[in-house]
Amino acid sequence: MNEKQKYIMLDLGGTPLTPWCRFKRVVKRTFRIELFIGLWVTIREMFKTLFMGKSHTTKYPFEKMPIPPRYRAIHDMLRLLESGHYRCIGCGLCEKICISNCIAMETRYDENQRKEVSEYTINFGRCIFCGYCAEVCPELAIVHGARYETASEQRASFSLFEDMLTPIDRLKEQEEFAGYGAPTPWADKNIKKTPLAY
Amino acid sequence: MDPLMIGIIIKIVLVLAIVSALAGFGTYLERKVLAYMQRRIGPAHVGPLGLLQIVADGIKLLTKEDIIPQNANRIIFMIAPAVTAATAFIALSAVPLFPTFTIPTSFPLIGGAIVPSTIADINIGILFMLGVMGSGLYGPLLAGMAQANKWGILGSARTAVQFLSYEVITGLSLLAPIMLVGSLSLLDFNNAQTGGVGSWILWQQPVAFILFLIAGFAETNRTPFDLLEHEAEIVSGYATEYSGMRWGMFFIGEYANMITISIMASLIFVGGYAPLGFIPGWIAIILKISFFFFLMLWVRASWPHVRPDQLMWFCWKVLMPIAVINVMITGIVVMI
Amino acid sequence: MNPNEVKIKIDGVECVAKEGEYILNIARANGIFIPAICYISRCSPTLACRICLVEADGKRVYACNAKAKDGMDVTTSSEEILEERRAIMGVYDINHPLQCGVCDQSGECELQNYTLELGVDSQNYTIADCKRESTNFSSVLHYDPGLCIVCERCVTICKDMVGDNALSTGPRNGAELDKELKESMPKDAYAMWNKLQKSLIVPSDESGQTNCSDCGECLSVCPVGALVSRDFVYTSNAWELKRVPATCSHCSSGCQIFYETKPTSISDRSDKIYRVTNEWNYVSLCGAGRFGYDFENSGATKDEKQFTKAIKAFKEAKAIRFNSTITNEEAAMLQSLKKELGVKLINPEAKAFQSFLKDFENYRGESLYSGNYKEMMSESNFIISVGSALRHDNPNVRYTFNNIQKLNKGAGLYFHPVGDTLIESLGKNVTPIYHTPGLEEYALYLVLDLFASKDELPKETKNYLESFHKKATKTVQETIMEDVTETVVDEETGESKEVTKKKPKVVEKEVEYVANELASLLGAPEGFGDIFEKMVAKADNFSMVVGEDFYAHPRAENLAKLLAFIEQYTAIKIALIPPKTNSLGVALICDLDEKADGYTIGYNEAGDFRLSALGDGDLDMPALNQQEGTFTNMHKRVVPTNAALSYNGYELNDIMSALGLGEQLSIDWTSKLPTRKGFEALSFDALPNGFTNAGEELRGYMLKQKATKAKAFEVEKPDESYKLEGEIAYRCNPQRQFNDFTNRAHQIFEPFALYVSEAKAQTLGKKVKVEIDDVSLELPVEIDAKMSGDVVKVPDFLSSKEIYPLFNAGRFKQVKISEV
Repeated sequence: MNEKQKYIMLDLGGTPLTPWCRFKRVVKRTFRIELFIGLWVTIREMFKTLFMGKSHTTKYPFEKMPIPPRYRAIHDMLRLLESGHYRCIGCGLCEKICISNCIAMETRYDENQRKEVSEYTINFGRCIFCGYCAEVCPELAIVHGARYETASEQRASFSLFEDMLTPIDRLKEQEEFAGYGAPTPWADKNIKKTPLAY
Repeated sequence: MDPLMIGIIIKIVLVLAIVSALAGFGTYLERKVLAYMQRRIGPAHVGPLGLLQIVADGIKLLTKEDIIPQNANRIIFMIAPAVTAATAFIALSAVPLFPTFTIPTSFPLIGGAIVPSTIADINIGILFMLGVMGSGLYGPLLAGMAQANKWGILGSARTAVQFLSYEVITGLSLLAPIMLVGSLSLLDFNNAQTGGVGSWILWQQPVAFILFLIAGFAETNRTPFDLLEHEAEIVSGYATEYSGMRWGMFFIGEYANMITISIMASLIFVGGYAPLGFIPGWIAIILKISFFFFLMLWVRASWPHVRPDQLMWFCWKVLMPIAVINVMITGIVVMI
Repeated sequence: MNPNEVKIKIDGVECVAKEGEYILNIARANGIFIPAICYISRCSPTLACRICLVEADGKRVYACNAKAKDGMDVTTSSEEILEERRAIMGVYDINHPLQCGVCDQSGECELQNYTLELGVDSQNYTIADCKRESTNFSSVLHYDPGLCIVCERCVTICKDMVGDNALSTGPRNGAELDKELKESMPKDAYAMWNKLQKSLIVPSDESGQTNCSDCGECLSVCPVGALVSRDFVYTSNAWELKRVPATCSHCSSGCQIFYETKPTSISDRSDKIYRVTNEWNYVSLCGAGRFGYDFENSGATKDEKQFTKAIKAFKEAKAIRFNSTITNEEAAMLQSLKKELGVKLINPEAKAFQSFLKDFENYRGESLYSGNYKEMMSESNFIISVGSALRHDNPNVRYTFNNIQKLNKGAGLYFHPVGDTLIESLGKNVTPIYHTPGLEEYALYLVLDLFASKDELPKETKNYLESFHKKATKTVQETIMEDVTETVVDEETGESKEVTKKKPKVVEKEVEYVANELASLLGAPEGFGDIFEKMVAKADNFSMVVGEDFYAHPRAENLAKLLAFIEQYTAIKIALIPPKTNSLGVALICDLDEKADGYTIGYNEAGDFRLSALGDGDLDMPALNQQEGTFTNMHKRVVPTNAALSYNGYELNDIMSALGLGEQLSIDWTSKLPTRKGFEALSFDALPNGFTNAGEELRGYMLKQKATKAKAFEVEKPDESYKLEGEIAYRCNPQRQFNDFTNRAHQIFEPFALYVSEAKAQTLGKKVKVEIDDVSLELPVEIDAKMSGDVVKVPDFLSSKEIYPLFNAGRFKQVKISEV
């Protein structure tokens, strides 16, 4: 057995074969205080909760737990911090990799000779929040955000580009994504530098 | 009118009001206690400390649509919950709760009324209570059979098996204390234990006490014997098709039964409302009842429940022999 | 083994090939991989990329331009070769923008492929970048020099295949390379880099615009995302597009194309064609094929009311009028209608072609024609074009004409009444003879005179031809200039004067020669005899293409006789150009009638009840990109096409079914095509549609040619009475326009107008009234910069304008033109 896993094997003993053995087992179990240990554990926890404030309850709508970085909630579209322009370059990789085929986008050649994402939508009726889109995105443009409260009057409420894009007035609050697809802290080590003439 | 009669009516109203309120409060307590034992805080948002949660639940239950399934036997379906609730309260009528007292004459209208410790001071109180509680079996049984639902049928089958079996244990376990006290009146039991902690029947009949408790858990459908409406196996058992206040009546009945069993345990085994040192009798019994009630919640939080076959095995192969032996030993001791 | 075959070994694999074949092509044909970026099959090697470096018998050669010799042993890769290739790919990657995410090449990029293939995982070289801004070369071409690797494939294909010569390399003004690199770098990589730093692709025209035929071949050959159609830029990734192999339905060449489709938009999930691509190593498209793809009949539904009316109309109809932009299957259905219901089939353009073909077949004693365009392109080195405005009628024949000049170092004779500067520019051995319309018979006599061995000819013909030969002396002005190319064209005798770098001077000289009056009658350039001597000097494989001008010519029968005659007495192989998409198929399948009266059904044509794939008729029909079927193209091949877009309306087969004559599916007719005409009884699904690595065409099947009993005939003397004088109009569509369908495509801009040469335009206003017989048309005037002469071109691609009947199926007409 793999030592690292540190399994503890439970010794349940053999199944009693004779009625006498069975009787002995009943008596043994009856007079052991295992049942009272259970009672002790619960009463101990009750006192801890009541008097030592060890409750695990989060008063949910009023208090919220921090979302771990790899949590995969409704997608966010990030902007570039410097210019405020959306990061999405319209490469279509998310559309390609999406296993539930719920991403669709339209792109066009814009006036600044750039690829403009004219329409972008995720069908959240189909999305399974696998996170592939965020992982494949080369620009860290589409990421999973913290909006896990996804109850809505309409399924379409989250699905358009504008719904997911960081509001421009809240650009300063935009946080860098640390989940799937984000560069690892040691990413620099894996890259060879390209010489540049300037 | 006879001051005693007025007192009895007052007591009936009090018992009904208090116990049904307590049943509601019991649900609150249960949720709170379970929560604390599971490191949670339980209901906390409605009212101070979540107390108004009971009211909210009540309103919800009352305003919910009363659905009667298409193929159900309508009349029996509608009556069944009432049977549970009624039997639970009727059982309480023979219970002495606190010492008899007279309402001061300065009180308007009911001044001078004598409120008895028992609503119906019948000298076979224990037998009566066992009988009425036993007939409480009809509630779940009829409910399950009337609702045209297979989970309901299974639930009622389990009800019949479990209640009937464990009534034997209850009866046999109480036989020994009855033999010691020589009366079936609960008042006599109370009076037999007025000599402080040392005079409690518990010390003379520990086995009977434990048997009674176990049987009491089974009869009130509490963990570890809550097989009648065991969600993981039979959805909700006999209560599957019930909703709204009809379901609520089962609930009240169950909690009333819990209180009744707690009261019986307090009265028969741990001294009833006899004063306990400096503690006056009425406080002492409230404390005792509360403890037994709490014990039920505590056990629910701690222990898993048993399998139906284990339940039957336990009843007929373990508890009943022990109870019979206990009665025999007691009989021999009493004879000597 | 064939004497002109060689055996070589490539990486130990025995390969048999034609002598003189390039190693790269042999390797490709045998499935051996040699990396190459700049080489295009059927074009001359450019030697721009240099990564096809291989070792042949221990010597380093470039596989794309090293010819195989018998017994050669070729090694395609060794550590040193890989080192060179890696360095070259490394150099290509310098300053190449890392914007693969938005690039339109999106994964089809050869730069990306070869960089990965050769394992270039780090960059060792650097140089300062220079500013390169993207521009539009024309109304359809978009060029981003930032992405360009200057492989010159676009330049090569434009020169060697298309012939427009619209692109060339121009200065980049990049930074100078460090001289030390010359020592430290692999040789080829340095040379390539040195050139790369100095060049970019620019239009040859000084205006910065290509002013070409907008065929878009340059877009398709671009290995990176530098050249992209303006319409396609940034609209889709390549991988999102579904490729539907099909056949272009605009002209009789029937090129293989891929319609690439994808949903229209987020809200509209129905498919839309985003672009057309081709196997550019084996097929070259024209602008209509590449950009004229969105002609579908969208929004058609099963309109039962109209369908019932259609059935009624068919039962009542005396005739069906249709054109040749239909599939073989539809033609077979129409023929079946004729057989069962006795309706007459009217298709004037196919009728003309049919009767001409019939005459030609009868006189030559074999079905169809002997010439094969593919063989011409690869083998012929002398091509004669008669009766066709090559630039407009059939782009693929023009590519063949051009390719023969460029790759086979051949020569070309172009007989046509309309001047065309582009044809003139295709090669230095191209001689245009702009004759007066009506003198086509003389042209054929001239061909006979030039190519037939005189002793074999019948005496009468021989004497007739000799009657034109006159001895004459002429004073020739010989100019010797510094510019060598100039002197070559003008050089007459090359007798004594040699090209020197002295100042130009004019020498006059008396020369005696045999003048051919036929040539001068046709308006051949001065000294045609000597020009021809030079043209024919190295030629040994002759071919001739015959265009639509002949089919409805008043002397068509005699022309057919003359052609048969030429085939009989010369080594020239003759190929006909079917006038419209499937004219050959229709001509073979349908028994066409001259004319009919009474209730007429029009299929994409005028009629009392109109079926239309344009959506403007009484009942909708699927357009050719919405239906499956086959075409019979000018290569004598039956080629399959597939539906790229969905169609929800009724098809012709539904009407047939309602009449009790239908098959389950339209394509069930494929196996029912008449076998006695050369078709095979193959089902549609059995038809392949592709090419092998060697470039062999595996599409559909070739029509079977059968020998028939040749009819004895005598050629007649030319009849000069059909010679046209005065203001002449030529029925001819602008480039990229063929029919109503091309006109629908949003990327084809050529308007319906009177096309004239620049000089002629000076004499006309912006809008003119053209009177043909007693009909007058008002047309705007458009300049066709590559036209010369006074003939004007009247297009007929809009069937609603009824131009075709005005010309009585012929192409030349005397008209009156007055300014409005």
